[in-house]
Amino acid sequence: MKKSTIVWICIAVVVVLIAIFAVSGYNSLVSARETVDAQLSNIDTQLQRRNDLIPNIVSTVQGYTDHESEVIGAVSDARAKLAGAQTTEELAAADSELSSALSRLLVVVENYPDLKADTQFTALTDELAGTENRIAVARKDYNDVARSYNTSIKTFPRVIFANIFGFEPVEYFEAAEGADEVPQVNF
Amino acid sequence: MSGNGKGKTMKKFITAAVCAVAALCICAQAAQPAPTQAFYAADYADVLSAETEQYIVDYSNALYDATTAQVVVATVPDMEGAEIREYGLSLARDWKIGSESDNGVLILLALSERQVSIEVGYGLEGALNDSKTGRFIDEYAMADLKKGDYDAGLLNLYKAVLQEVYQEYGLAMPEGVEPVQTGESDSGSTDIGSMIGAFITILVIAFLILGTSHRGGRGGRGGGSNDGTGGVGPFLGGMFLGGMGRGGRFGSGGGFGGGGFGGGGSFGGGGSFGGGGSSRGF
Repeated sequence: MKKSTIVWICIAVVVVLIAIFAVSGYNSLVSARETVDAQLSNIDTQLQRRNDLIPNIVSTVQGYTDHESEVIGAVSDARAKLAGAQTTEELAAADSELSSALSRLLVVVENYPDLKADTQFTALTDELAGTENRIAVARKDYNDVARSYNTSIKTFPRVIFANIFGFEPVEYFEAAEGADEVPQVNF
Repeated sequence: MSGNGKGKTMKKFITAAVCAVAALCICAQAAQPAPTQAFYAADYADVLSAETEQYIVDYSNALYDATTAQVVVATVPDMEGAEIREYGLSLARDWKIGSESDNGVLILLALSERQVSIEVGYGLEGALNDSKTGRFIDEYAMADLKKGDYDAGLLNLYKAVLQEVYQEYGLAMPEGVEPVQTGESDSGSTDIGSMIGAFITILVIAFLILGTSHRGGRGGRGGGSNDGTGGVGPFLGGMFLGGMGRGGRFGSGGGFGGGGFGGGGSFGGGGSFGGGGSSRGF
C-alpha cells in the first residue's frame, strides 16, 4: 500500500515535469514561429510600400520621356509578378526582378538632366531608395530569425516537441542564384 | 618529470589561447566604435568642434528630457568597406538609440567614403520620411560638406532634424538649454562598461578552457551536456533579452546579449531601426 503510493507519487511527479517541459518547449516554439511570421509580414509591408511608390515614379518618368516604354514595361511586368507571388521563394524571385528592373529605370533616368533635377523626382527616388533599404533590412532580419527558428526545431531537445506538434522549417527569403544582391540606388 | 613539463606547456598554451581570444575581442570591438560617454555626439573622425559637440549633447539631452527622443551625431574616419546605410543601421541598433517608442535618429558621416546618412527609427519614420531626410541633407548639409566644412554642415543638419522631431511632438525648439555637465567626453577614451565586459569575457573563457583541460580523462559526457545547454541558453537568453529591451541611454554589457534570436535588438525599446532614412555622397 505504502510502496505503491510512493510509486504513484513518483510517476505523477515525472508526468508533471514532462508536462511542464512540453508546455514550455511548445510555447517557446510558438513564440519563435510568431517572430518569424512577424518578420515575414514586415517584408510584405515593405514590398507593398514599394509597389505603391512605383506608379508615381513611372508617371513622373513618363512626364519627361517618351521612348523608354521598354524599361517602364519591365517594371510594370515585375510589379504584377510580385503581386501574384504565393510562396516565399516566388516572392523573393519577383522582388529581385523588380529591383533590377527599377535599377535599369534609374540608369535610364541619367540621360534626362531635367528629370534628375526635378524635386518631385528626387523625393520619389529617396523614398524608393529608402524602401529598397528597408526591404534589405527586413530580409536580413527575417533570415536571421528564420535561421534561429530552423536551427531550434532541428536541435535537441526542441526537435522532440517540434516533431510532436508538427513545426515545419520555414523557407529563407533568398532569390535564385545571381539575384541575391539588391541593386544600389544612389543619387 | 615529463608530467610537470606537460603541465607547463599546457599552462603556456592556455595563456596563449586566452591572449589570442582577448585580442580577438578587442579587434571585434574596434571594428565598430562603441557609443561615447556623452552618447549624443560621437566624433570618431574628429571633424566637429568642441562647441558643436557640446551643443549637440546639450540639445539632445534637453530633447530627451522633453520627448524621450534621441538624436545622435556620429562621425567615423572610415567604414572598412561597409555600405553606409548598413553601417548606420548596425550602429543605431547596437547603440540602442531611441527609447520605448522607437524614436531614435542617427546622423552619420563617413569621412574617407565621403558619405553622410540619416537613420530614422520606426517611431519617427512618419515625421522624418525618406524624402524629407534626403531633402534635409541636400538643403542643410550638402554645400558645407562639399566645401569640407563638416562641422557647419553637420550642425545645420542636426538643427534641422532636431526641429522636425520637436515639431512631431508638438513642441517648439527651445532657444537655449541648460548645459550638461560632462567629464572629458572625448571619443578616444574607452568606456568602463566595455572594459568590464571584456574583462568578464576573458575570465569566462579562461574558466571554460581550464574546465575542459581539467576534465581530460572523464570521457565525453560532460562535453555533450555542455553542447545542449549552449544550444538552448543563448536562444532563450536572446529571446528574453530581445523581448524586454531597455530604453537606457547607455547600452552597457555589450558582450552579453549574444543570443541568436534578439539579433540587433530590433524588438525592444531603443535601437528599433528598420532602414528608414536616406544617404548622400558629397
